[in-house]
Amino acid sequence: MKLYNISLQSLRRRKAKTFFLIIGLILSVASVVTLLTVSKNVNQSIAANLDEFGANIIITPKTDDISINYAGMSINNVSYNNNELHTNDVEKIRTIKNKDNISIVAPKLLSVEIINPANGTGDKNVLITGVRFNDEIRLKKWWNVTGKIPSKGNEVLIGSEVKKKLGLKLNEWLKIRDNDFIVSGILDATGSQEDVMIFMDLNESQKLLDKKDKVSLIEVAALCYDCPIEEIVQQTSSVLPGANVTPIKQTIESKMTAMHRFEHFSFGISAVILIISMLIVFTNVNASVTERTKEIGIFLAVGFRKSHVMQIILFEVITASLLAALIGYVIGFLASRFIIPVLTMDESTRIVYDYSLMIFSVGFSLAVGFIASIYPAVKATRLDPTTAFRSL
Amino acid sequence: MSLIEINNLTKKYKSANESVLAVNDISLSIGQNEFVTLLGQSGSGKSTLLTMLGGLAEPTSGNIVVDGINIYELPSKSIADYRREYIGFVFQSFQLIPYLTVEENIFLPLSISDLTNPEQKQLVNQILEKVHLEKKGKRLINELSGGEQQRVAIARALVNDPLIILADEPTGNLDSKTSEEIMKIFCEFNDAEKTIVMVTHNTGFKKYSHRSIELSDGRLIN
Repeated sequence: MKLYNISLQSLRRRKAKTFFLIIGLILSVASVVTLLTVSKNVNQSIAANLDEFGANIIITPKTDDISINYAGMSINNVSYNNNELHTNDVEKIRTIKNKDNISIVAPKLLSVEIINPANGTGDKNVLITGVRFNDEIRLKKWWNVTGKIPSKGNEVLIGSEVKKKLGLKLNEWLKIRDNDFIVSGILDATGSQEDVMIFMDLNESQKLLDKKDKVSLIEVAALCYDCPIEEIVQQTSSVLPGANVTPIKQTIESKMTAMHRFEHFSFGISAVILIISMLIVFTNVNASVTERTKEIGIFLAVGFRKSHVMQIILFEVITASLLAALIGYVIGFLASRFIIPVLTMDESTRIVYDYSLMIFSVGFSLAVGFIASIYPAVKATRLDPTTAFRSL
Repeated sequence: MSLIEINNLTKKYKSANESVLAVNDISLSIGQNEFVTLLGQSGSGKSTLLTMLGGLAEPTSGNIVVDGINIYELPSKSIADYRREYIGFVFQSFQLIPYLTVEENIFLPLSISDLTNPEQKQLVNQILEKVHLEKKGKRLINELSGGEQQRVAIARALVNDPLIILADEPTGNLDSKTSEEIMKIFCEFNDAEKTIVMVTHNTGFKKYSHRSIELSDGRLIN
């Protein structure tokens, strides 16, 4: 028989004590594993949603020309398009090393044109924007359209200010460069420059403006939960040497703040659980040492050194901690499967498990067990042999 | 030849209000293979003397030399080793570990030795035979009678073959028949060259010992 056999028999046969020691640790480990798994998954879910909520990179042609302003970003004057981007640049962006992080690429062709509505309100200058509506509506989740998104070449979507300025209504006709277009949808006021734009299909705009395969700017939404946006910018710049690739830092930082808020909350709760579980283990082991004064007296009487007594106590706690870590990990793992779909409000959420959490669980449980029991164990070794012996 | 030399041994216990002189300037020699009974009323200092002999309570003054070793000059680790190698304790209320089986309780002193498991097992089986408990090795302590529990305690005290058995009222919780059986076991081990120092109230047990020493108020009176 070795010292660890004494610890194992103590755990095995003092069932109530062992149960309360292990259950405290299991609850702690399971709670922390659940919190961290939930936190990681919910953050990724938030990140995925946020990344599709507006662009975080704008690509414009390199130019010295006077710029106009679009969505808070400076872009070159479309009248001097000596260095325009091209439609195939969109495909180039999707070849970068971090291409999996690229969510939406939305190219645009801009031009100020004279509009002649059929209602006779007179010619007006308006900014025409050619877009790929499929990408645009994914990028602009806030868009609220009366009517429908254009699906044909001669259909346009007009901003709320354009509607007022030109007195246009749904299904009314207007003329641009002698081509007739019908208003299929009216964009509700967004409070941005989109209110003063007319949107049409990109291909149609390229034909209309005689700028085949050319685009004025490209908006990109990159998934940046755990990717450095600067690297994506650098990689994009290298495939598009004639372009300025600019990250919209404010957008990125807002996303990161939103994403990490829940993460910080989880870490805070985990820290509280850590302290509570340490107190549970400390109370349990400390009470156990006090109760076992007589037993310690027996150990000393048969010739055990103080270090032997300490080994027995620590081995007990370490064994209980390891057992609790494994059970707690499994419980936390299973619990997160039920909690994540509820929190993300999406039953189809694919749950990403971090198996390194098992190593973390073992480390966490051992650390809690060891730190909380070190004082009682030292106290046991400092027990005056006379006191222990008197209790016999 | 004396195995144990006790020289001017004094032990004072101090509490907040008073100081109690439990053992008062005792000098005594106990020979190898001797069976000594320590007699006296409660509070006469018998158990304190036994505790000091076992290296568990440092004397206030004086010294104890066992087999040429002044035990209270030893460092703490070595005192534990002294207890393991020289001393086997037997207590009035047996003092067995309730969550361990009979065998596991007897294994205790061996669990910190360098012996292999088969060597340990052999020693435990031998001692179980000597105390007539060979069929009860796998039982838990609470499944045994008082006499059987005391035999387990004796087996545990002797399994690592110590030179000295210190017994504190070993029959105090037993009926007279079982007490006689336990005393016979002590005599058998004494015949096997163990030195035995036994604290008892029962003057009837003088007959088993070579010498009886009586204490009163911490002093030797006989």
